[in-house]
Amino acid sequence: MPVNHSRRLHYYKTLVFAFLMAVAGWHCEPIVTTFDDIEEAEHYQAADVPTILPITPDTLLVMTWNIKYGGGDIDFWWACYDDRVLMAEDEVLDNLERVAEYINRADPDILLLQEVAVDSKQAAYVDQMQYLLDHTDLDYGVYASMWRVQNAPSDGLGRTDLGPAILSRWPLENAERISLPLRTDQDPLTTYFYLRRCILKASVPQLDNLYVVNVHTAAWQAETRVKHIDQFKGELDAIDDAGGLFVAGGDLNTLPPGSQVISDFRDTKCGEGDFEGGDYSGEEDWLDDLYADYDTALPLEEYQSADDQEPYFTYGDKPDSLGFTRKLDYLFTNRTDGWVPGSDSTHQDIATPGTTLSDHCPVSVRMELP
Amino acid sequence: MTVVRGRRRSHHIALVCSLLMLASASMASDNASWSSGTAYTLPSGRWEKGLFQPLRYGQTGRLEWATHPVLNLVVPNLRIKVAHREFKGWSLATRHGFHYPTPLLRLVKRPGIGGLISPESDIPEIPHILAARSELLATRTLSQSVWLTGKGGVSVALKTGEIDERTTIDLPLVFPRMALFLHGYQLNLGADLLTNLPGRWSIWTDVDLLMIPGAEESFSWEHKGLVIWSRSERFQVLVGYKLVCGAYPDYPKARTQWHLLPLIDLQWARQRKAKS
Repeated sequence: MPVNHSRRLHYYKTLVFAFLMAVAGWHCEPIVTTFDDIEEAEHYQAADVPTILPITPDTLLVMTWNIKYGGGDIDFWWACYDDRVLMAEDEVLDNLERVAEYINRADPDILLLQEVAVDSKQAAYVDQMQYLLDHTDLDYGVYASMWRVQNAPSDGLGRTDLGPAILSRWPLENAERISLPLRTDQDPLTTYFYLRRCILKASVPQLDNLYVVNVHTAAWQAETRVKHIDQFKGELDAIDDAGGLFVAGGDLNTLPPGSQVISDFRDTKCGEGDFEGGDYSGEEDWLDDLYADYDTALPLEEYQSADDQEPYFTYGDKPDSLGFTRKLDYLFTNRTDGWVPGSDSTHQDIATPGTTLSDHCPVSVRMELP
Repeated sequence: MTVVRGRRRSHHIALVCSLLMLASASMASDNASWSSGTAYTLPSGRWEKGLFQPLRYGQTGRLEWATHPVLNLVVPNLRIKVAHREFKGWSLATRHGFHYPTPLLRLVKRPGIGGLISPESDIPEIPHILAARSELLATRTLSQSVWLTGKGGVSVALKTGEIDERTTIDLPLVFPRMALFLHGYQLNLGADLLTNLPGRWSIWTDVDLLMIPGAEESFSWEHKGLVIWSRSERFQVLVGYKLVCGAYPDYPKARTQWHLLPLIDLQWARQRKAKS
């Protein structure tokens, strides 16, 4: 082969290789996104942000809410009442409009959300994070994905990106996504495509670097859930040990100590299988340490001494017709006597026939700032 | 903004790929090649089959049949290529084919693992769909071992009912082809460049553009680069990549996405002996 021909061939191969590497590095995303133990969370802000930040108040209304990716009263397949999987765009937008209206009525200063879809076929690809920032008075947000796959090859789920979020009236900083352990009872392929739950942590400089910590623990495997709760407690302990002040909470997927009903819920319809989650036997003391070390929005004594605990329940498989059947959602703080007495609220009014906004209802409480 | 940026990228990549095709043309040497991606039909009695490429058979010097045998179980398909007279140095052929994707779509509309389409009762049953494509191919020999092929065509899909928009599988290569079922029509344009290199090597590059004028997810631009090693006239190995840039469903409007996929194939060929 002539020398110049060989050189040209070499140049050509180099060009092709460089081109492929450049394209691969520039554009390609993995089929499944895996996460480091700690990563920076994603920052959002409303399309129109006021030039002057709201003044720092004396008290702060904090709320947590699992919004079921804007699913409203749709019966999804995992609750076993129907077989719905994918929402149409108008369904998502209608539900989100009502969620935003409710948030505006409740008027929280800090909002912890779970199951926010930002790029999911299930939710017609509506970026719910951006939608809620643009349609509420909360202008700043951080988001951490707990499930980001190009295509979840099961039940027609398709592209999925959803997870917890924190919305705030003031800018958030030091936002971290902290990975939680994966489920251990699935085959490797299913585990690879499955949820990668996390803790979302951020601080609010405007509020003297108040930490906000949001978690959504495993719903279906108890052995994993207790690890998530322990790690969540560990994160709170670390903030507390460092002298920081926090509000924390989310969907812990387990019951408070002293719950009168811990299994055989009237709304459980799924049989044995992946979505079997209606039995909390053996979990009675899993939140003892959290309750012992920190103040909860709903005082434990009030909950345990109630003849009827139902007004405190935050979750139901079918709340519009069967009501809420258990308490899974919590707010904690390490500020002693930090909650304004009697300010806690369990917003069960989000579920009325025809206008149910989620299978979880929000929990809110007012906090006194130092 | 995303779409605008995507178009700019598309222009950049298209430019680079065009340069690659020109570069491969400059590397041409004399070597025999198989007849993939050209207007040429297989010689009478010759068949070629790849792991992923279709089984092709030359019935006469001017008529070639092609089908994916395994896919036929779930997507019955057939394609013919008919060679025509040369026109001003261009070899011309038309290619006509159909496929019936309904069985496969119904197969993957299922609960649990393997469900690529939601099985929910809110989404209607997949209707019967018959998709057909006709295209014109024109090949010109640029030098002793370089062949340039241009192609353009139109596809139509006949359906016995409407398809719910949620029925799509939003994956590269798949979604652009399913978009035909949604909208009922699609145009395609493309070019292939086949270049023989010294020894047993050759390069096959192509660009294809699938378009649905008027649709929100209106285009998919695909580029393929394959290095081919031919052990003989009866066996070759193809290794390369496929770069896809397309518009996919999103809110509030379609989003441009890029994907780079590996390609590998093994191809066998045989020549049926002529009857004495």
